[in-house]
Amino acid sequence: MPRFHVYWIFTKKAFLRSAVYRFDVWSRLGSNLIFLLMWGSIWTALYAGREEAGGISFQAMLTYIIVSQFLTGVNGAGTPLWEIQEKVRTGDIALELMRPFNIPLRYLFADFGSVAFYIVTALLPIYAMLFIFMDFTLPADVFTWVSFIAAAFIGFLIRYCIEMSFGLLSFFLVETGGIEDIFYFAMSLLSGSVIPLWFFPEWLAKVAAYLPFQGIYYIPNAIFIGEIAGGEILLSIGLQIFWLIICYFLLRLVWNRASHKVVVQGG
Amino acid sequence: MPIIEVANVRKDFMIAKRETGMMGALKSLIKREYIKKEAVKDISFSINEGEIVGYIGPNGAGKSTTIKMLTGILVPSSGDVLVNGIVPYENRQENAKSIGVVFGQRSQLWWDLPTIESFELLKEIYQVSNQRYKKNMDTFTDILGLDEFLNTPVRQLSLGQRMRADIAASLLHDPPILFLDEPTIGLDVVAKEKMRTFIKEINHERKITVILTTHDMEDIEKLCERMILIDHGMKVYDGEIAMIKERFGKIRTLIVDLEESPRSIQLLGGEVCKEEGNRYWIKFNRDEVSASELIAQITKTHSVKDLTVEEPAIESIISRIYQEGYQPLKA
Repeated sequence: MPRFHVYWIFTKKAFLRSAVYRFDVWSRLGSNLIFLLMWGSIWTALYAGREEAGGISFQAMLTYIIVSQFLTGVNGAGTPLWEIQEKVRTGDIALELMRPFNIPLRYLFADFGSVAFYIVTALLPIYAMLFIFMDFTLPADVFTWVSFIAAAFIGFLIRYCIEMSFGLLSFFLVETGGIEDIFYFAMSLLSGSVIPLWFFPEWLAKVAAYLPFQGIYYIPNAIFIGEIAGGEILLSIGLQIFWLIICYFLLRLVWNRASHKVVVQGG
Repeated sequence: MPIIEVANVRKDFMIAKRETGMMGALKSLIKREYIKKEAVKDISFSINEGEIVGYIGPNGAGKSTTIKMLTGILVPSSGDVLVNGIVPYENRQENAKSIGVVFGQRSQLWWDLPTIESFELLKEIYQVSNQRYKKNMDTFTDILGLDEFLNTPVRQLSLGQRMRADIAASLLHDPPILFLDEPTIGLDVVAKEKMRTFIKEINHERKITVILTTHDMEDIEKLCERMILIDHGMKVYDGEIAMIKERFGKIRTLIVDLEESPRSIQLLGGEVCKEEGNRYWIKFNRDEVSASELIAQITKTHSVKDLTVEEPAIESIISRIYQEGYQPLKA
């Protein structure tokens, strides 16, 4: 049984560490907002003055993009893929094998710390202002709010498992550029982060529906704007949990293989 | 009582074979061949509680591989390892609690946190009690002067400071065993000396067993009584340093500067092993001929400007063993 207070200290330290890199926080927020502006403009142009398209109102679509950018900020504040690869390449991650803790769990808890810092100091204030001063769709009731937060959190965990697994593949590969490309492609397109799944051509929508990435952005976003509502909410969250379990076992498998490779074949 | 036991340990690595040429490159896309490399072939030793043992060998001899097996990061291909009653690779996290590890080449502290926070993190990871933590920090601050940089992020520390922080960090949880992998590499003379004093002190006062790998023979001479010498994954020597010095110390070198350079020097009991201009290096065995006899012989036929007798340093003894191999003494 993992001793959670050991991991909790990583959360605390990562939170404090983020405070050291203030410039990083601001520059990240800056680029996040630039992308928000970009996607907002693109969708405004695509709607071309129409009130609705494909049954989705312009206002709801803009809200979707804003929530999506917010979650992009949240998901991007953890240990990025390249950093995991770097830790594998330099052997730092293997060296942690001689510490008394579970390594993927330790990185997850550290990510909680850096993400919490980023949310509290940057994301939340800015995005709250957007919602206060502009007219966007807000969840109608408490249940939707809670569902959105739960879905976003599960999405975060799914993303973590996938990103960590992809990063750990560096143990087996000399070159990892391809892995990165696949990851970022899936993360931006198949997750529905910039184009909601309902605008996909049928075949692509089908592909996305059978993959875990929709659980990261599409499901929480759609819950937020009410596109997924009522009983569908629980169904979607159930689907997320299903994918989370699969991604968790994927991460476990990759990690066991990777650490096994270190201990048996040498780093 | 042995605290570390290593019996007939072997470790093989599979290394991907690099194919040459275009065809080779294409072939390796489909199928890759592996070559087996024996990093450690057959090593056995046992170390008693409280010893400081120098674990020496040329680059690629298998030192780090052995250390990694003792820490549990690597599983031996065959043979047994027992550290403080634990099989390290079977119970890595448990083993972690009874060892401290310092790598001279890389820090295990958190790069961007102030040094003190790395310590606090380790305190939680190893569940060191407040009281114990305070006591250890006081001691280490005292001897290692940690207070001058406790609030500096690790990335801004000088190498000497970083090593001091690293060794203190490795001892926070009071491990009975300490592995030091080149702990003085890159340090200046003063910092090296400080490091050695500290290692000696903690070994003496806390009875911590220390295994030290190093290329700096001064580390060995100042710290260890026992030395395990390995080469090509095999143990070449295991015993007291005094003994190896005694044995190889018999061969000494007389260095003479002559006024003129003779065609050859014939000496009884001595042999010219190197010459450079008018300077000659003459090897002799102390048991067969004394230095003064040798000098008398030379001054009879040549005029000598200057001379010195050199006792071999442990360094040159070891480099000789690396080159020629060590023939064990017959009992």
